[in-house]
Amino acid sequence: MITVLKNAKVVDPAHGKDGVVQDIYIRDGRIVARPSANEKIDEVFDLNGKIVMAGAIDMHSHIGGGKVNIARMLLPEYQEMRRMQEPEAHICGPNCSHHATPNTTDTGMRYIEMGYTAAFEPAILAVNARQAHMEMGDTPMIDKGGYAMLGNDDYLLRLLSQNADQKTINDYVAWTLHATQTIGIKVVNPGGISAFKFNERRQDLDQLHSYYNITPRRILQALSRAVNEVGIAKPLHVHCNNLGVAGNFQTTLDTMGASDGIPMHLTHIQFHSYGLEGDKKFSSAAANIAEAVNKNKHITVDVGQILFGQTVTASGDNMMQHLNAKVANPKKSVIMDIECDAGCGVVPFKYRDQNYVNALQWAIGLEIFLSVDDPWRIFLTTDHPNGAPFTSYPHLIRLLMDKTFRNEAFDKLNLDAQAMSNLKTLEREYSLYEIAIMTRAAPAKLIGLRDRGHLGEGAAADITVYTEQPDKEAMFATPDLVFKDGQLVVKEGKVVKVVWGATHTVKPAFDLAIERDIKQYFDRYHTMQMHNFKISNDQIAEDGRNHVINHTQG
Amino acid sequence: MTQLLNAMHTCPACGLLCDDISSDAIARQQLGCGKAAKFYARSAKHPSAQINGRAVTLSEAVKAAASILTQSKSPLVAGSSTDVHGARALVDLSHATHASMTHLNASSTLRNMQVLQHRGWQTTTLTEVRNRADVILMIGTDVVSHNARFFERVVWVDEAMFTHASQRKIIYLGGDDLNTQPGVSPDGHAPEVIACAAAHLPEVVAVLRALVLDKPVTGTQVAGVAVSTLKALADTLKAAKYATLVWVSKDLHYAHAELTIEHITETVVALNQKSRAMGLSMGGSDGDTSVNYAHTWLNGVIIDQPDWESHDAVVWVNSYSPDAMPPAGAAPVIVLGASDSEFTTPPAVFIPVATPGLECDGQMFRVDGSVTLPLTAAKPGDLPSLRDVVNQILTTLEQGALA
Repeated sequence: MITVLKNAKVVDPAHGKDGVVQDIYIRDGRIVARPSANEKIDEVFDLNGKIVMAGAIDMHSHIGGGKVNIARMLLPEYQEMRRMQEPEAHICGPNCSHHATPNTTDTGMRYIEMGYTAAFEPAILAVNARQAHMEMGDTPMIDKGGYAMLGNDDYLLRLLSQNADQKTINDYVAWTLHATQTIGIKVVNPGGISAFKFNERRQDLDQLHSYYNITPRRILQALSRAVNEVGIAKPLHVHCNNLGVAGNFQTTLDTMGASDGIPMHLTHIQFHSYGLEGDKKFSSAAANIAEAVNKNKHITVDVGQILFGQTVTASGDNMMQHLNAKVANPKKSVIMDIECDAGCGVVPFKYRDQNYVNALQWAIGLEIFLSVDDPWRIFLTTDHPNGAPFTSYPHLIRLLMDKTFRNEAFDKLNLDAQAMSNLKTLEREYSLYEIAIMTRAAPAKLIGLRDRGHLGEGAAADITVYTEQPDKEAMFATPDLVFKDGQLVVKEGKVVKVVWGATHTVKPAFDLAIERDIKQYFDRYHTMQMHNFKISNDQIAEDGRNHVINHTQG
Repeated sequence: MTQLLNAMHTCPACGLLCDDISSDAIARQQLGCGKAAKFYARSAKHPSAQINGRAVTLSEAVKAAASILTQSKSPLVAGSSTDVHGARALVDLSHATHASMTHLNASSTLRNMQVLQHRGWQTTTLTEVRNRADVILMIGTDVVSHNARFFERVVWVDEAMFTHASQRKIIYLGGDDLNTQPGVSPDGHAPEVIACAAAHLPEVVAVLRALVLDKPVTGTQVAGVAVSTLKALADTLKAAKYATLVWVSKDLHYAHAELTIEHITETVVALNQKSRAMGLSMGGSDGDTSVNYAHTWLNGVIIDQPDWESHDAVVWVNSYSPDAMPPAGAAPVIVLGASDSEFTTPPAVFIPVATPGLECDGQMFRVDGSVTLPLTAAKPGDLPSLRDVVNQILTTLEQGALA
């Protein structure tokens, strides 16, 4: 079966195409060259110059796993709102709070309705990976994948404190990718989640861990090198120490230097870009951070933009979330230590535009977006649901593309916050081409999805069709058509066919001998057997809908 | 395939999910716990489906079940004693029939959920306790009545990374008919037992919380417990490197017991201002955690309390409790359950399904919530899975709707 999208105005940065009008042919779920004249075209969509991009890829969104599910349980207040509205019937703006913790079905539906065809869960606790995959497996419409958290697990910290060689670390990292069926490695507050279990309340980059006598810097060095040497595409995903603390920008700057030039991705950098200036001792350090990102070509970042409204923050960083629990709204939170592996902290927040700190957080995120020069190295995220639900992406895109709209929003902020931000001096407006880079081409390249994020021959036919219009929020909220693996699944913003996507993984080679030591550790200290920790392809596919796509990288 | 690779099974008979059960031990019926012994001794009694106690074919029973559900204005999916895969199937069935969904353990599960939703909590998991806990306070429970191997697998272990396992301090605070013997350390050190009836725990735990917060407490006794004893307990908790406060929701079964649990969890929150402590909710069985969690991610909300009066048909799943049935008078009942179900009155429809972990594979959450384990069929059989049967019912319902 061959489908053709005629007269597509293609925005495909992976191939340098910015508005090239062409026809796109789809066969068996893939984009193909123009078929020979005697082949039958089964389906024709004349797009009449509508904008065509690859399906968008969210490289950092908390869509499944223990802390996400706790977030769903935590706020029955949302459930009251659910009954009054029709979640299936609309796409939420930033203040539509009940979508901060959507169920798995709504997660898939809302993503595909916006033209997103993949989302990556960035914080899979290795020991909780089975649950994360169950939830992602129950998420329809989109492809999924995840990054396994290391760097606070006692196994790695023991290795580092015993001066294990890099090869052992590499083997352990590769083993973890296999065991957890993930495509990247994340470190959250390196050493800090573990230190919290020893009653430490802060962990600085060069501060020795009180038990293991190693620094977060050492953890970052070891893990960034391991990720690089096992040869996977996705650089180490780093949630820096000192999340959310006034003055933390210095930690963030120092962290950029911790990998000795090996690629690292610093996530939700907005939450790590705070200075200490001003009467309130809380200021924007966006300029310092952006300058450093511009200079350090081995660094990529995603923003973690906040938008105003009710949300629930869910993080592996129980050390910092335990502090944040003091400002929870509503006043409740869940803090967990988990299996000598990691932790989590789930804290509801209500971001308010008249609150000085919240207003400045909003401005800091946008300042970073507008001050980092290279759209290939900065990614559009709200750290869903921590800064805002992913359903607010169209609104965020308009803030980036429309200076007037952005400045009008700025004028409504807390006045003290306005006085502390240079946002209005930033004239930049993102182009469609730049938006396509940061939401398609760059995330695919970063994660190593060679056949996604672009519209070249051989690519998976994950395609989104938009009507170009001045209101970019409206444009990106409701695509005309969305194709998933070549099938038309969304028409005029509504799902017309349910499909189930796949789970993307990477499985680099490693020395199996490491498993002997890991098994011994499990037998000595764990409450489960090692073989039960490992997740098989069959188990991912167990209920018959999901399947694993493994990527050969390096 | 999993069976060929390892002969170890995971036991779903309680929330502890011990995953060291060898095929050999099952075959020789040498199991270290009564619940496991009973579970693995189960054998099929009703191999075929029934309508009103009369043996019928599977397809006849499926048709009868679909017919009841079609006629029902307000069905209830209940019991729900199954694993994650079963829970997914039941959620699908509840969507298709607009049924409410509840669980055998709804009252104890929701007692915990009320605390979570009101204040949240600070909790830990079994491997953390195993390696860190130096003080374990058991409040209103001995745990072993629910999780027989708790001390063997978590407390009195050979090695712990950050503490001396055999020197842990075990304290029992209140409860009825506790078995405190497992709290005796391997070198014979007896646990501290602060006795009070479970019914008095609300005031005793409230005073403990106040003492941990350094609030003034007047009086010398509360419910027969000396305040000085509780003060010493508060000091012990504050001095601990990793105090673990354990409760079992099922053991706190009096009106507003959620307030007692909240006093426990808020005591933990108070301790964590300066030292380290965590809560640990134990018990759990019949797949309650699995069903509540899967229900939450599939629907966005936790399971409901049963309200038997307002439903005119019940789908009952009892895979881990073959003797459990809905309250008398709930009719008609469709049992999709254990082949060794025990009925006093035959249900309208009975379809035997494979029990995950006994007759088919599956996946289940451990009671501490973060760990999910695969279940393997210890005695593989021919029975259909709950998913298979639900799919057949759904297909019949769709065909009926089209007809």
